[in-house]
Amino acid sequence: MPLYSAGRRRVIIALALTSALLLTLDLRGNRLFDAARSGFSVALEPFQQAAEVASAPVERLWRAYSDFDALEEENLALRAQVDAQRSAEIAAQNAIIENQDLLALNSLESLASYDSVTARLVGQSPTNFDQQVEIDRGSIHGIRVGMPAVNEAGLVGKVTRVAPTSSVIMLVTDPSYAVQVKIVSIGGEQPDQVVPGFTTTTVEEPEETFPGSDQGAVREEFLISTSTSTSLPDETAVETPEVEVIRETGVLRGQGDERLPRVSFVAGNSAFGRIEVGDTVFTAGGSTSLAPPSIPVGRVANVITRAGTAGQELEISLSPELGRLQFVRIVLYQPPTELQQ
Amino acid sequence: MIGFLMNSWVARVIPIGLVLLAIQTTLLVELRPFGVSVQIVLAFAAATGAVGGVERGAVVGFAMGLMYDLAVGTPLGATAVTMALAGYVAGVGRLFRIESHWWILALQSAIGAAVGEAMVPVVRLFIGEAAVSGTGLVTVVVVVAVAAMVCSPVLAPLGRWSLSLQQTEMKLPPEIRSEV
Repeated sequence: MPLYSAGRRRVIIALALTSALLLTLDLRGNRLFDAARSGFSVALEPFQQAAEVASAPVERLWRAYSDFDALEEENLALRAQVDAQRSAEIAAQNAIIENQDLLALNSLESLASYDSVTARLVGQSPTNFDQQVEIDRGSIHGIRVGMPAVNEAGLVGKVTRVAPTSSVIMLVTDPSYAVQVKIVSIGGEQPDQVVPGFTTTTVEEPEETFPGSDQGAVREEFLISTSTSTSLPDETAVETPEVEVIRETGVLRGQGDERLPRVSFVAGNSAFGRIEVGDTVFTAGGSTSLAPPSIPVGRVANVITRAGTAGQELEISLSPELGRLQFVRIVLYQPPTELQQ
Repeated sequence: MIGFLMNSWVARVIPIGLVLLAIQTTLLVELRPFGVSVQIVLAFAAATGAVGGVERGAVVGFAMGLMYDLAVGTPLGATAVTMALAGYVAGVGRLFRIESHWWILALQSAIGAAVGEAMVPVVRLFIGEAAVSGTGLVTVVVVVAVAAMVCSPVLAPLGRWSLSLQQTEMKLPPEIRSEV
């Protein structure tokens, strides 16, 4: 039988054309396909539940084999980190409450302005090219497409698909993910002295590699030391350095599992040169943003200078550990761009 | 019409697809050798192509890919075209072989699965999902291909049953066999 017969050619052409047609319709948005997806997920659910029950012992065995050493090592590191952060937590909690009070007092939008739904991760993406996770909350819990997902550390991603009792979250690292962010940099001399009557926080960033982690990435451990002076202010004796806060906005895009997300700037600015490694990144908010303002995203890990007028790009080390998510919080904020859909 | 459908390959492939998708989305997202998710649905498409030939492999691969797209939420048709290609490539080997040794089928399945998985980022680029990471693609393709090869002794008979095919009884003549 020849490799290229007329019948064979017809089959191939028919399949290729069908694929192209389906892709075109689906990418333009089609309610019929959305309904088909919802129906199929309902039909698949009993099979998945049965498979979960049947495969649970195998999964546990595999995890025990593959994760033991890494977990033991991580446990030791986390204990040290918890000790270091315990003192900082008290000061941070106080600052958060004060901040929220001030925002509420001035009627400013913040993350605390929105209700949220806490959800548990029940699955990861079965493909090798998408950065997605599935959670156990869906449309009956108020979740809609486009809503941002966060955890205690910061921005995790956004909801891309919603079924009645489950949803799919696209992670920040997915190449299709993009969100407006602001980079907050303390320009000038850093306030490393203790200012009387105020709490100052210094951040050290030793690098520590965790073998066996999903992404094989370098994890940053922040050792935060807090010191408070209770002495009375003496204006003649203390000279507080001039602190300039720089805020730059840009668009953060995921680069896949193995590379750090990047921020590319919308427009050139003379302050570019002052953004440095370690500066903090938050969501920018705004009428077209996918997330409310001031959700922590991460820290600047690298500043990449590009030739010509291309400007700078920043590589961002994300605050949440996306490879170890257990729970996420869906902020019930639907971006204006998603409301039309 | 209903009777025809019940007796056709569709009635067998859909439940097989549901079971394999359930395994894919539960067990195989946890078991990630070298950080790679083994693609059991793709392996089945390739194995079916290996036992059924080019056209059957492509059509079954396409159907499995559509189910995969519906379940996972990838653009409808994106995985279908890659799995159809996997079934097609795996089926090409059938044009050149006489005896269907298990290891030949395993080899065909591995090649089909490798081609299908390698095509995923290419198709994604075509539909505008730019910047799909190329690093690690070799590892992904190799692991997926080896997994398809290992699963082939189970999946090939399943594919043969789904298509109502009998195992070929054609054998090489003894004199040629002794020369080989």
